[in-house]
Amino acid sequence: MAPDMEPKKIIIDTDPGIDDAMAIFVALNSPEVEVIGLTTIYGNVYTTLATRNALHLLEVAGRTDIPVAEGSHLTLTKGTKLRIADFVHGADGLGNQNFPPPKGKPIEESAAAFLVRQAKLNPGKVTVVALGPLTNIALAVQMDPEFAKNIAQIVILGGAFAVNGNVNPAAEANIFGDPDAADVVFTSGADILAVGINVTHQVILTSSDREILANSNGKYAQYLHKILDVYFSYHLESYNTKGVYLHDPTVVLAAVDPSLVTCIEGVVRVQTSGITRGLTVLFNKQKRFGEIHEWSNKPTVKVAVTVDAPRVMKLVMDRLLDS
Amino acid sequence: MASQVNDANGAVNGALGNAEKLIIDTDPGIDDSMAILMAFQSSEVDVLGLTSVFGNTTTELSTRNALLLCEIAGREDVPVAEGSSGPLKGGTPRVADFVHGKDGLGNTLLPSPKGKKIEKSACEFLVEKVSEYPGEVSVLALGPLTNLALAIKSDSSFASKVKRIVILGGSFFALGNVNPAAEANIYGDPEAADVVFTSGANIVVVGINITTQVQFTDADLLQLKESQGKYAPFLSEICKFYRDWHVKSDGVHGIFLHDPVSFVALVRPDLFTYQKGVVRVETQGICVGHTLLDQGLKIWNTSNPWTGYSPVSVAWTVNVEGVVDYIKELLMKT
Repeated sequence: MAPDMEPKKIIIDTDPGIDDAMAIFVALNSPEVEVIGLTTIYGNVYTTLATRNALHLLEVAGRTDIPVAEGSHLTLTKGTKLRIADFVHGADGLGNQNFPPPKGKPIEESAAAFLVRQAKLNPGKVTVVALGPLTNIALAVQMDPEFAKNIAQIVILGGAFAVNGNVNPAAEANIFGDPDAADVVFTSGADILAVGINVTHQVILTSSDREILANSNGKYAQYLHKILDVYFSYHLESYNTKGVYLHDPTVVLAAVDPSLVTCIEGVVRVQTSGITRGLTVLFNKQKRFGEIHEWSNKPTVKVAVTVDAPRVMKLVMDRLLDS
Repeated sequence: MASQVNDANGAVNGALGNAEKLIIDTDPGIDDSMAILMAFQSSEVDVLGLTSVFGNTTTELSTRNALLLCEIAGREDVPVAEGSSGPLKGGTPRVADFVHGKDGLGNTLLPSPKGKKIEKSACEFLVEKVSEYPGEVSVLALGPLTNLALAIKSDSSFASKVKRIVILGGSFFALGNVNPAAEANIYGDPEAADVVFTSGANIVVVGINITTQVQFTDADLLQLKESQGKYAPFLSEICKFYRDWHVKSDGVHGIFLHDPVSFVALVRPDLFTYQKGVVRVETQGICVGHTLLDQGLKIWNTSNPWTGYSPVSVAWTVNVEGVVDYIKELLMKT
């Protein structure tokens, strides 16, 4: 980063979450960005627990100056039957470590209102890194018609582009969490970079990387190596691998340094009903269709297609070890 | 051709006595016509009949064109059974006349056929032949899967008695051709496609992710035209309209060989590799007609709409040169 460059302001919308915790720490230790707030959402855990964990993680980091705004408890269509991934992240979302409750409290403002206000305050300067279902972002889009224009970029962990999902063969977990919200966000006209599991599955923290974390004195490294146990067990059971996917850290780093990924541009729509509910379909405009279809005349977004995984891994390790 | 290696194990089919009994369910259609004439030129298969369906044209026109193709091939003995005029859920079918012309044969305005369709419906014919020769009859499905779904629904033993069903349909982890989510044959009757894919029958499916890799370029079309192939003049004539549509739609100076490739998958499965997994079809929403294969890369911790169904074989890679050569060989045969 050039010394005269102001750090990029980012808000992390998050459902911590083991890899969310890692992503938040990486962001806090990245001089290229300034974390101006965390907003919470259900997904890996319920929203209430996500808020608690967000506050807890900021206390661990000694960054209680950063506000936490609690997000929606319901999907955009007021759905309550939310799928929580406690089998991935533990019942507490942080690897069943039973951390004490945080001392801090979330701010009065809702996540959506916080997002809208920050985007208006610094038009074109605030990037949202969305690590969970997209309800809060969709609410912000609906609350303020200027939001999509005011926000610099929305970097999304979500979708499975031309690969199977991770909730079921069709859908990736974050998009599946609120497909209606995802479709609103993808078609909002905002500058969007979507990073799907087709990309994040390439970034793997191995057991030997975990050993390095365990044997270091880094504050974040020490904390994370403990909570990673549950996450490793889940990957062994579900994917038969002795490593874990670094979904959220990869996406934070894509926001920090866009040159870590390459993208294609096209229209993304989300299936909101049926057996493939949560399916993300990218139309890259390579083919001309004879008829008007549901992808016609919609704004385009960027979708990551490749990632420099070794460089992402090095950055993750560096920033966790040196803490 | 005297003999041909016709499966991955190297088994050889040669004499007509060994030829595979085949019913072609079809909506001719220009590339359907190529596939049907290839079947008539091949000693690998014994065509028991053609069944017609909507898609490239209306079912009525498909029946007419199927009869015409039998006459062109001098195979008036092959019965043509008319299929359903619309999808399972009812309504007027989508017809791709902008691809195949008003007559389905590139607006070549051929005279009406002399022959007549048989009394039996496509569904009845399929059920009858498969029951008559259990385990021996293969079906090559080149259009929407309505007739096959009706056969599966009307006879609970159809799926286990049919030898195999080779389907041209779907787009696996790739764009569709009707819209970004859906391929035309599956889009034509998504409910029927889902019935067929989940029926437990021995199924091989060839999607447009495979067939669009196999093209006749303008040079290949010229080679066909100038060949001594028995049907080369007819095929060259009907291909003109189809070729011009490809230039407009895909910027391709040539044609995709969807149906011929599917025929090759039937007689030369060794020219492809496959992935096995459960395939379901979306029947609702903006992605209606989308085909989704569970690749089996993850052990699901809860059941989902793919759980519990029999896997099918999805063509995964294709030996493009081998398939093009095989198609040329049959189409240029005197």
